[in-house]
Amino acid sequence: MKIEMTNISKAFFGTPVLEGVDFSIESGEVHALLGENGAGKTTLMNILYGFYEKDGGDIYIDGEKVLIDSPKTALELGIGMVHQHFQLVETLTVGETITLGLKEEGYPFSNRKQINRRILDLSSQYGLEVDPRKRIKNLSVGERQRVEIMKLLYRSAKILILDEPTAVLSPPEIETFFDVLAQLKAAGHGIVIITHKIKEVEQISDMITVLRDGKCVLNCNLKETDESCLSQAMIGRTLKRREREMRQFDLEKPCLELQEVTICEDKLQVLDSFSLKIAPGEIVGVAGVDGNGQQALAESIIGIQGVTSGKVLLNGEEIQSLSILKRLNKGIGYIPADRHQDALLLSMDLNQNMLLKKHFNSRYLKHGLIDDKKTDEYTRNLVDKYHIKAISNEQAIRYLSGGNQQKFVLARELDAGLKLLVVFQPTRGLDMGATEFVQNQLVELSQQGTAVLLISTDLQEIMSLSDRITVIYKGQNMGELSNDGDLDVLKIGYMMGGSKNATA
Amino acid sequence: MQRLKRSLNYLIPAGIVLAVIIVLLLIIGADIGHVLNSFAGGLFGNRYQVGEIFVKATPLLLVGLGCAIGFNCGLVNLGAEGQLYMGAVAATAVAVNGEGMPKLLLLLLMMLAGIVAGGLWALIPGIMKAKFGLSEVIMGLMLNYIAIHFNSLSIRTFLKDPDYPFPMSKTFSPAAQLPIFLERTRFHAGFLIALILAFIIWVFLWKSPKGFEIRACGCNPRASHCVGINVNRNLIMASLFSGGLAGIAGFVEVAGVQHKLMDGISSNYGYLAIMVALLGKKHPFGVIIVSILLGMLEIGGLAAQRQAGIPNSITSVILGAVVVVFLLRDRIAINKQGVTNV
Repeated sequence: MKIEMTNISKAFFGTPVLEGVDFSIESGEVHALLGENGAGKTTLMNILYGFYEKDGGDIYIDGEKVLIDSPKTALELGIGMVHQHFQLVETLTVGETITLGLKEEGYPFSNRKQINRRILDLSSQYGLEVDPRKRIKNLSVGERQRVEIMKLLYRSAKILILDEPTAVLSPPEIETFFDVLAQLKAAGHGIVIITHKIKEVEQISDMITVLRDGKCVLNCNLKETDESCLSQAMIGRTLKRREREMRQFDLEKPCLELQEVTICEDKLQVLDSFSLKIAPGEIVGVAGVDGNGQQALAESIIGIQGVTSGKVLLNGEEIQSLSILKRLNKGIGYIPADRHQDALLLSMDLNQNMLLKKHFNSRYLKHGLIDDKKTDEYTRNLVDKYHIKAISNEQAIRYLSGGNQQKFVLARELDAGLKLLVVFQPTRGLDMGATEFVQNQLVELSQQGTAVLLISTDLQEIMSLSDRITVIYKGQNMGELSNDGDLDVLKIGYMMGGSKNATA
Repeated sequence: MQRLKRSLNYLIPAGIVLAVIIVLLLIIGADIGHVLNSFAGGLFGNRYQVGEIFVKATPLLLVGLGCAIGFNCGLVNLGAEGQLYMGAVAATAVAVNGEGMPKLLLLLLMMLAGIVAGGLWALIPGIMKAKFGLSEVIMGLMLNYIAIHFNSLSIRTFLKDPDYPFPMSKTFSPAAQLPIFLERTRFHAGFLIALILAFIIWVFLWKSPKGFEIRACGCNPRASHCVGINVNRNLIMASLFSGGLAGIAGFVEVAGVQHKLMDGISSNYGYLAIMVALLGKKHPFGVIIVSILLGMLEIGGLAAQRQAGIPNSITSVILGAVVVVFLLRDRIAINKQGVTNV
């Protein structure tokens, strides 16, 4: 069986996400679909699975043009997909989940024993260990994934699409998973792996397609390429560097020091012995693909997530067991990635949002009560200084544009006397002007002696702002690079993909 | 122009409610003029009726204030009915056991008992929500049953008046009765207490930093947590205040109106107060206005039932319509603003 997708294009709300992409997959082949976040990998596969309707292009199966208008059609044609976020019903048993929606013999009085036997047969055939009588809610993530794959095999899917299959797995589970892939391949299944991990691609795939910004930039056999070629194709653009003076810092007395900080979440280590030092006035960039522990890293410093083990030191003082409030009062600022969720009271006005976090500051109080006039004055100052566009201070912050909201958060956090600022994706979703403004503010702040931890998935941003760059991968610090003249971009690409051998 | 628009914002929903009322009256075949007459007569006919409006409004105002605090912290206090009963039981226990004490001291002690009992009763769902993430709505509702039946239990056993066959407590001594405000009516000092509390709560919620925290938690608990606010502590505090106010309502009902504890001491005040808080926009001053309006609706409705034979259920229908229409109006207003300003 051979599937060919030719000249596929798709746009969301007028923004093209796929432009003339070609892709093909054959039985007995593992095909890796590689690319950064938002490159269009998942969209392309969702079109093949009938989840989305394509705007243009054709799909052929064994040379015959087909129309796939729903996942049901796709499954009938032998194409199945496991999404990154599993679609399982917690309260059902494994057997029930696998046969959900099928009308097998005797329906609706299904012969469970017979079905379960068939499931066990299949599972031993491919080394996919599942117990059909267990309930989904009692399964580990790895087991759930196996159930999802079994669901497809039970429906005799020939082509399996797996979206970021290893993202949720622990290292030993990944090994098991790779064994399963090998068996599926040997049994003649075609497998598409959507991933951004170069290392895994090398281990398991035969063919590779790299997407970038909705276009196919590379399509070749694994043997014809190597890591450097792949990471260049993935990152693509030659990253332009902002003019930045080289600064030297003394790390003897760091402002922030993380000592082997580990955070476990549901038995998964989201942060794994992460160590880091930042000197006062220094900007340290943490690069990495989204979802590799960045959130945990930021929140462990602020105290939103507690650390499982390890130490967090601010100017030599241990703060990992202090409350959030105490840490913030020691001069830590935080600009979270999700400003709507983590930083703003959307239905309240500018004044009240400015007060948040400072509501016990005597500067805004009179006789123990909030002084509206002073608050308004102060907010007006900041609105002017940061060029925040709002109708008035009484406007609900919800109605400001994303860029203005971000400027507002920045204005609130960049208060005098900040020792450390943790910023997480500070310019995501902002236009060029706002991006530049925010970035300039960060540089200015560091020049005043504040240590800045810049966590971002935007490599360009990291490279243009940071004095030093570290890479986070699966919660680990992959190594540090000084952001000087001969910074090796490819090396960062390797490290983001989890290649240890390139660690400096 | 702007002003006209704003008043239209209220006039249109008011018109809808009025239309609902007229259609209802036509369906049941009532003489609208006669109904309106008896309704108005019931409200302002004599001073006793005017006093009754405030007798009805007082518990609604107190419990409504409590619910408003809860709402502002993101807490739906459906357990107010039970908290009111617990407050009434505690106040009665103090009243019957404290005979002979000076009036002011006794009343203060009774009120304190009401606050503590109502507050502790509200603390149960509050802590369950804060610590274990359980739904305060279901908890509160279930606790209502326990409280209502605990009340029945108490007036049949330890609080029962031994000289009387029916399940009720002894009639309070004059020292344990709230002073009457307006002679020859039942308009008692409880309303004054409620007004003072409304002002205090307004200052607390809108002017004090602690109150700001409560509102921030209600607005976005996650962001509040991220800036170092202890959300759980605020939730617990809000439920304590919310229950305390319901407890005061219980105290006011026994000390101001009934002068004894019995079954059915609350005519659904705990539930009506949710609507009072919502229609009053969760703001103390709004709650004052709405609770008085609701008192008028109840009293006028009763008069219309007596004189024009209109079933009193119509007031509940009107109330329901008002809540639905005005909540819808708010939502539409928010959506519109969103479009024009983005």
